Amino acid sequence: MLTQRVSHLAISLLCAALFVVPAVLFLGCAPVEEEEAGRPYSIAVFVPGVVEGSPTYEMLVEGVRRAVDESENAEVRVVEGGFNQAEWSGSITSLAATESYDLIVSSNPSLPEIANEVSQSFPDQRFLVLDGYWEGNPRMRTVMFNQREQAYLNGYFAGLVTTGGMPASREARRIGLLAGQEYPMMNQVIRPAFLEGAQVVDPEIELDFRVLGNWFDAGRAADLANSMLDRGVDVILSIAGGGNQGVIATARDRDAYVLWFDSSGFHHGPGIVIGSSLVKLDQAAYERTRAAINGSLEFGVGEVLGVADGYVTFDSEDPNYTEYVPETIRAQHEQLMQRLMDEPMEFDIPGAN
Amino acid sequence: MIYYAIEVMAPLLLAGLGGLFAELAGVLNIALEGMMLAGAFAAIVSASLTGSIAAGMLGGLIAGTVLAYLFYFVGIRMRANIFIVGLAINLLAAGSIPFLSSAMYGTKGVLRLPRVPRMPGFFVGIETGFPLLDQIFLGHSFGVYLTVPAVLLAGLVLQRTPFGLRLRSTGKNPETLRAVGLNPDRYRRAALLISGMGAGLAGSLLALRLGVYLPNVSAGRGWIALVTIYLGYKRPFGVLIAALCFALAEGVSVAAQGVLQIPGTILLGLPYILTVLAMIAYSAMRRVAPSDD
Repeated sequence: MLTQRVSHLAISLLCAALFVVPAVLFLGCAPVEEEEAGRPYSIAVFVPGVVEGSPTYEMLVEGVRRAVDESENAEVRVVEGGFNQAEWSGSITSLAATESYDLIVSSNPSLPEIANEVSQSFPDQRFLVLDGYWEGNPRMRTVMFNQREQAYLNGYFAGLVTTGGMPASREARRIGLLAGQEYPMMNQVIRPAFLEGAQVVDPEIELDFRVLGNWFDAGRAADLANSMLDRGVDVILSIAGGGNQGVIATARDRDAYVLWFDSSGFHHGPGIVIGSSLVKLDQAAYERTRAAINGSLEFGVGEVLGVADGYVTFDSEDPNYTEYVPETIRAQHEQLMQRLMDEPMEFDIPGAN
Repeated sequence: MIYYAIEVMAPLLLAGLGGLFAELAGVLNIALEGMMLAGAFAAIVSASLTGSIAAGMLGGLIAGTVLAYLFYFVGIRMRANIFIVGLAINLLAAGSIPFLSSAMYGTKGVLRLPRVPRMPGFFVGIETGFPLLDQIFLGHSFGVYLTVPAVLLAGLVLQRTPFGLRLRSTGKNPETLRAVGLNPDRYRRAALLISGMGAGLAGSLLALRLGVYLPNVSAGRGWIALVTIYLGYKRPFGVLIAALCFALAEGVSVAAQGVLQIPGTILLGLPYILTVLAMIAYSAMRRVAPSDD
């Protein structure tokens, strides 16, 4: 009997410990009023995926780290959320629930909606989301890049290539676009803007659009690229993550050209990757984070940055660009850049709130 | 389209044939996917170190075999649950390769190494006057020409040699083997090692065709290879037909995107829909006329 009571008592104590100890620890970690003055400005970078191998997330982390390094009293922690999108909301909620971070920074078109939901439960938490758009949440700042201009830049370049500007240009005036998956920005903005840009060069140019179905199957990407080349395509804009490597392999085997999106891709295939449109996500992340640390970042704003702002551009600095792309094409493309500087393109963001 | 279907078929067929040996020995090798992945990584590393395609393929073969031995040791020798061991091998490959890649080359992502040669093509530029025959037989990469003798060799070994007979007995009735003083585990080990070689070689073909290793390069082909074993009635020639059917369906889905006004995302499901339909048909046909396996 006594043994039974002792064991009941022990179990009760164990249960109490299980609940009380984390609560005490949690409260102990919560910000305390006296510490507030000397406490560093704390930032969490939530990476919806993994950093390594993703130029976009590498730029994000690099930009935030640079801002923190230049600040005397700020700290940063990078949290990789993995590829399971269903887990991102829970991960961001967990970060906000710690109440340890003044700012959560992330980058993905689906993140503003998640951050908006989380901020309803944690009204003190502030968010900076790049490559996404949200207006009106006083605790969130978003930065979107004008992907219409970006795709247009690629399209115009592809048009110049397919109309005979390069040694391997073919007779059929057909350009290719390989997408990892179909999504509103791809179908409603990138795809039409890519063709629009090409048709400025020649209205007869056709677009061969293919979908890989994921962001990693380079083998199937190689087959899709082969199928495109069979139909007379000579230049392919590849927005397919790891699948881009399959497109490069095919282009190398069959003398065709590849265009890159978001980051500089020349080093993946000199002479094969002949053009890269860039978004300066690192610069945007750096500047907005620095403003947040200084207390000058305005929240509740959804900004759109494009060519005229200097955040969307075409990589004309890379030595491979000058080595493999003829002077005439470079000059014509430079003129387009200048035109977009003077006359920015309107950008309707799909699904904007 | 047929040309590319043949190229797609080659790695599926090699992995499927290897898996067939394990299956006939009574061991379901669900680790083909992981072995392919390891083969792909090892192939690129070996090809880069030596500058040789042959060495790359050998590296892939060895990597698959090492994982297969691990499978044998834990699953057969240590009597662990085969299904769990297979899953663990897949997870081990997916988890350890990024670690090795990071430690050796400083990246977990795309591994583009110097000195990796391009996969040579054979009978390139030759025309018979019959385009269909040209697409089936000419201008393919080395791996494709490897698969034809592999099917014949597998058929010969399994059907016409004492080793093949004993291996099949191991799967059907291991007690018979024990009764004549033979150890069935030796045949299970041999079968698993052959399946590791096939999957490793298949992985090496995938990576060497691209000239790079990238995470998840096998993209589920190990699982498809497993399906071809059953669709092919557990016979080498049947595996060939099943792999060819899947590759043709894949080829149709790729080519159709360029000509049909149907969203690509829907067309991409075609090979998998056909696989499910084929499995249903297989199941129905087995009820009517069960195979001797």
